[in-house]
Amino acid sequence: MAAFEYRQAEEIRDALARHGVRYLFIGKSGAILLGYPDTTQDADLFVEKNPENGRALVSALLELGFRLTSTQRQEIVRGKDFVQLKDGPFDLDLVFAPDGIEHFEDAYQKHLSIEGFPVCHIDDIIASKVASNRAKDRESLPRLKAFRDYWMQQQRGRR
Amino acid sequence: MGVKKTDGSAEIPADWLAEFEAARRRPLKLRWKYAFIRTYKPVLDDARYRSFDTTEEYRKWCEDNLPNWLGYGRV
Repeated sequence: MAAFEYRQAEEIRDALARHGVRYLFIGKSGAILLGYPDTTQDADLFVEKNPENGRALVSALLELGFRLTSTQRQEIVRGKDFVQLKDGPFDLDLVFAPDGIEHFEDAYQKHLSIEGFPVCHIDDIIASKVASNRAKDRESLPRLKAFRDYWMQQQRGRR
Repeated sequence: MGVKKTDGSAEIPADWLAEFEAARRRPLKLRWKYAFIRTYKPVLDDARYRSFDTTEEYRKWCEDNLPNWLGYGRV
């Protein structure tokens, strides 16, 4: 499979918007949208967990070309905490309950829109990585936290 | 040399700062192009679909099944 192209990111953004899906980019892909220079290979979407939103998400995924069995569709509608999709035009992780964030609404209140992409606040991205406590996150956190300080300075400068 | 944070508590290392500045100057489309790469991750990339009832279950699965060097294990 080829790398995840920007055109495909736009397709996700537009398809999920058309179907009214409530979600946020989180993880490294979210940080990259905010301007963080790093590499990754998939996108993590923090999706609000409720059946209506799950059904809207399934419709959008099918439109994007993901192949989902009936069981898989039901699992997404149900909102299993973590769903990994590698049978579509690009890899996507659906995260319904990220570590370190209690409620979707809390994160949504703080989110940013970057060229129409809904993105978690950098503090939530960091909180999630701190809480997950994985070795790879531990290694990358000092640089991500430094970026947070840089990014906050930039935000303050814009006001 | 780096740049002091606004609270004066620490500095952003100069090489990181240069990377952040360079990224800021790039349009999103180009940042995306530089960021998204394709590498094969053993085990993780070997299934087309996985789901877990809880995030804890997913973390445990990663620890039990993925090679340590991928870094998905908890510290």
